Amino acid sequence: MSEASVPVHADVAARTKPRPAPRPRRFTPRRVTAILSHAYIWFCLAVFVLPFFALLAQSLGSRGGSAGIANFGDALGSFGDNLFWSFKITGAVLVLDLVVCLPAAYAIVRYPVPGKRLLFSLLQLPLYVPGAVIGLSLLFTYTFAYRIESTLGLILALAVGSFPLMLTPLVVAMKDLPIVFEEAAVCLGATGWQTYRKIVFPLIGPGVSAGLLLCFIIVFNEYLVTLFVHPPSLETAPLRVFNLVRTNGLAPTTAALAVVMQGISFIAVLAFFRIFGTRHLKGTYIL
Amino acid sequence: MATVQLDAITKRYGTTTAVDDVSLDIADGELVTLLGPSGCGKTTTLRMVAGLVEPTAGRIHFDQQDVTYLPPRARNIGFVFQTPALFPHLSVADNIGFGLSVKHERKDAIHARVEEMLALVGLAGYGARLPAQLSGGQQQRVALARVLATDPRVLLFDEPLSALDRNLRDQLKYGILDLQRRTRKTAIYVTHDQSEAFAISDRIVVMNAGRVEQIGTQTDIYLHPRTPFVAEFIGATNGFRGTVTGRHGEGDAARLLVTSDGLELRCRNDPSIAVGASVVAYVRPEDVQVLIDGEAAFDNVIEGAIDRVIFEGPTAQVRVDIGGREFRADVSGGERITLGESKGRIRLGFDDMTLVPIDESGPATIDAV
Repeated sequence: MSEASVPVHADVAARTKPRPAPRPRRFTPRRVTAILSHAYIWFCLAVFVLPFFALLAQSLGSRGGSAGIANFGDALGSFGDNLFWSFKITGAVLVLDLVVCLPAAYAIVRYPVPGKRLLFSLLQLPLYVPGAVIGLSLLFTYTFAYRIESTLGLILALAVGSFPLMLTPLVVAMKDLPIVFEEAAVCLGATGWQTYRKIVFPLIGPGVSAGLLLCFIIVFNEYLVTLFVHPPSLETAPLRVFNLVRTNGLAPTTAALAVVMQGISFIAVLAFFRIFGTRHLKGTYIL
Repeated sequence: MATVQLDAITKRYGTTTAVDDVSLDIADGELVTLLGPSGCGKTTTLRMVAGLVEPTAGRIHFDQQDVTYLPPRARNIGFVFQTPALFPHLSVADNIGFGLSVKHERKDAIHARVEEMLALVGLAGYGARLPAQLSGGQQQRVALARVLATDPRVLLFDEPLSALDRNLRDQLKYGILDLQRRTRKTAIYVTHDQSEAFAISDRIVVMNAGRVEQIGTQTDIYLHPRTPFVAEFIGATNGFRGTVTGRHGEGDAARLLVTSDGLELRCRNDPSIAVGASVVAYVRPEDVQVLIDGEAAFDNVIEGAIDRVIFEGPTAQVRVDIGGREFRADVSGGERITLGESKGRIRLGFDDMTLVPIDESGPATIDAV
């Protein structure tokens, strides 16, 4: 490099030297918005989660420390029957809801039912009516024809109250399923049942799984309808919690049972997200 | 293999007639295309053949067997949809074997048939993949393999290439034609794409507003349109609306004389058109010559002002204003340059045999099948 060329290059270097980037402002509007958003989420989370921790603290309560764990042993021991009944009743209701809602969703979406929107709104009615009203109306309506205060009566009553939660995701899933798959199947020689079993049912899986989750959570924790229509020999876990709180206040063993029930619901939701992911909740407006 | 007969089939939705009195005979192993604009009833016709839509009137026969009210699964058809419609939760092999599995075929027979079909469509080794792992073209080939696996009597195609890009479309249309020729299946193909229809069809059925306008080979449709709609829908054309003022000559030398907005034109003869009839006479842009220095004697010569010249690669469109009416002539690249420089007025010539008169007043003439 010649000496003559040095000043030229130095000049170019001086001109092209990048300026130091201006120091970012600490609180830009965007950053403030982000902080507020996070704070709001944490606030909501605290509001919703705090009662659970309060209940957990109560369940570990009177015996104190590690001995408080014994309350859970008592809960599972003495309330085992109640939990078992809750699982059995919930399982039966889920099966019944599914059996009723699968063909109903198919008919609502695929067939030209007159007044379809009105009909669908009427079918949603149990969601808008308090559980006590459902229980009373079931008693008034069917008790003359059938002994509704029985296990079967309870299953039917809970199914009436929860089936919209199954129907809605199924209807949405059916609407999302292009009819061309069914047409392709029948053109390939499949019967209506083969088409439903091999093509439609697997493809509306997201709706089925979302419906099962919603119904499980609602039915497993339902006590108000159960209060009206349960047979004397049958007491589900949420009803037991309700009865115990009403008579004895919130004893630590009762709180332990309530925590176990919340834990089961929480595990169901976690398992759902783990297995199916959030996309399977598409179309549900509850979660 | 099968013959297909549509006998005056009609489909009405309330007061709307989607398909109106369509009759068609398709020979064994023939590929017939239903061609027309959107909403002309071609897809509804195809869906009636498949059994997905029930006709309001008329009968459909496969090999003399009345299938009008048979469900699709009992017709033994292969339907290729606009989208591949592969079952997304099943592998490629399970998709292809679906038609056989619902008929309770043996598993080893299904497996062998699936392998054969995969090889036929050039996708050997793809059986374990899911449809989402294939490209659009591959998916449509699997859809084709799926319908061929059941050995259908009739193949039905509902615009199967419309969702693909142009290169893939060109490639696949010949693939479909090749498969149809090799398997010798009777096929009905629906499209609105003229080039697709012209490339693969044995015969073309041009439809409009639910009715058949004309049935014929590519040359019949292009060179001898029978209705104004066919003339205007197929390719580009120039129309002269006018009145037949006389017939000149006899036999093969006979010509019609037509007056249109003061222009005296000589047309190809059509014995069914009477003197005094209202006609539209059509000439294709590629049959029109530009007369630069009074060259060559043509039967029809018209004059106008060059409006614009549109370059299209090997050819160019010359848009000429003739008394307020736009007229199009397609010229070669060399002529384009000359015209582009000259601007101003221009003379155009065309032979009387290229000017096709179509009777406007009479009923549409449809080829007998």
